[in-house]
Amino acid sequence: MARPGSPFVGETVEALEARTPVRFPREMVVSLLVLAAAWQAASLFAPPFVVPSLPRIGRALAGLRLDFVLVTLLRVAAALAASFVIGVGVAMAMYASGAVERYGRPLVRLLMAVPVVCWILFAVLWFKGVEFRIAFVLVVVCAPVFVVDILDGMKGVSKDLRDMLRSFRPTRVQLFTKLVLPATVPVILTSWKINLSLAIRVVTIAELVGAVSGIGYGLVVAQELFSVADVFAWTVVLVAILFVAEAAVGRAEARLLRWRV
Amino acid sequence: MTDPDGIVVEGLRHWFHQAGTGQRVLAIDRLDFRIAPREMVAIVGQTGCGKSTFLNLLIGLERPSEGRVAVGGRTPYGDFAWFRGRVAAVFQQDRLLPWRTALDNVRLGLELLGRPADEQRRVALEWLERLGLAGFAGAYPHELSGGMRQRVALARAFAIRPLLLLADEAFGHLDEVTAAALRATFLELARTGGSTAVFVTHQLEEAIEMGDRILVFGKPARLLADVRVRAWGAEGLGALRARIQAMLQANEPDPGLTTEEPRR
Repeated sequence: MARPGSPFVGETVEALEARTPVRFPREMVVSLLVLAAAWQAASLFAPPFVVPSLPRIGRALAGLRLDFVLVTLLRVAAALAASFVIGVGVAMAMYASGAVERYGRPLVRLLMAVPVVCWILFAVLWFKGVEFRIAFVLVVVCAPVFVVDILDGMKGVSKDLRDMLRSFRPTRVQLFTKLVLPATVPVILTSWKINLSLAIRVVTIAELVGAVSGIGYGLVVAQELFSVADVFAWTVVLVAILFVAEAAVGRAEARLLRWRV
Repeated sequence: MTDPDGIVVEGLRHWFHQAGTGQRVLAIDRLDFRIAPREMVAIVGQTGCGKSTFLNLLIGLERPSEGRVAVGGRTPYGDFAWFRGRVAAVFQQDRLLPWRTALDNVRLGLELLGRPADEQRRVALEWLERLGLAGFAGAYPHELSGGMRQRVALARAFAIRPLLLLADEAFGHLDEVTAAALRATFLELARTGGSTAVFVTHQLEEAIEMGDRILVFGKPARLLADVRVRAWGAEGLGALRARIQAMLQANEPDPGLTTEEPRR
């Protein structure tokens, strides 16, 4: 039987969403506080250019250029959006046609096997514009991940459910929108989490080459000025961005996958 | 049915290729029979005898290797789209879409038929109520018991008012009390809805309880007997049960059961 007092019974989805509380991430906060305390303790014994104290890093954080953060975020967001659109399109083409998949998969695997640093060098050699170089590197790294994940998700849809839906004689579009797409949502969200982390790490490296803005450029400047506190401050920003982005995807996951046990 | 001939099965044979070895396995040896419109027919046979394969051919999910299956003069595989809104199936597992609420699962068939949203909702709620699930419209499948999920699956099938209703071991995995209640509901709804119903089961008791007629399949699928249950009367059911059981064990036809009139 349904669990007594089940929140789902007889309620609208909107009402349920409105009541779903945001859980305080206690364990994460405790872990980070312990790490910060250990860092501060280490800074008392190590020279500041090796382990700068928390107040030093805090002062460096306050002096960072916010516009660099925004530029990096925009680059990541635009590149991930483009990668997702390309990934979905290619995955759908491969799903629809066995021949496209057989010829396309080796190419996608080839793209994934090339190291990021090689893509950065190719971008420098092939393209002039800095923004295009960065976008190219991000898309060529992230789009194949979307392709492989989404295609595997689509192909993993249960045959039982497929047969059930086919017994109702759906059109191809209906089969896709009523079954394949919703069944692939969990995989899409996981792929977004993987690519967010990947993109934030890759964009920093890509910005090291030729960019005059962004967090990667900020790191280059900090290194040239021997400002270790700035390097750590930028690192804290990158980690914080990743945490916030993952939390946003996690929130979307909780909303979109509320049907899961 | 739109054709008075109902379901026609002629010279039907079917093979499948075993995964891994690729070996060709005979699932249906030979089937020839007819089912009249609005008949309630149970197909009984041992596990793995090809009953579900036959049902898949009848649903149109597979193309027969040889012979013909036709419903109202149309073949379910070849005339796939013609059966839109005319056929519905209930499977052994409920096969509910886990991301849809009970209400949204029931309205699925209506959605696929392009019915207006308010009609979908009204009809789905009516069916949920008829199946005793009025308070569970907003529940997700994982919030429901096995019996409740199967009732949602029944509601989903009945909601489109199909001419042909197919059930594949739809009650076999439920406890007896729940299964008996659902069988009764299924029969009542199929009869009042005027559907032709074909249900596959490996349980002889279920076949006798539900079918006006029982088709006994051998292994691989071939017709061992075609029995009109009512002709045996209440007092003859024990003998009928024993003879079908003996036939299933021997995997050989019983000549006394191959005609419509019982020979005792």
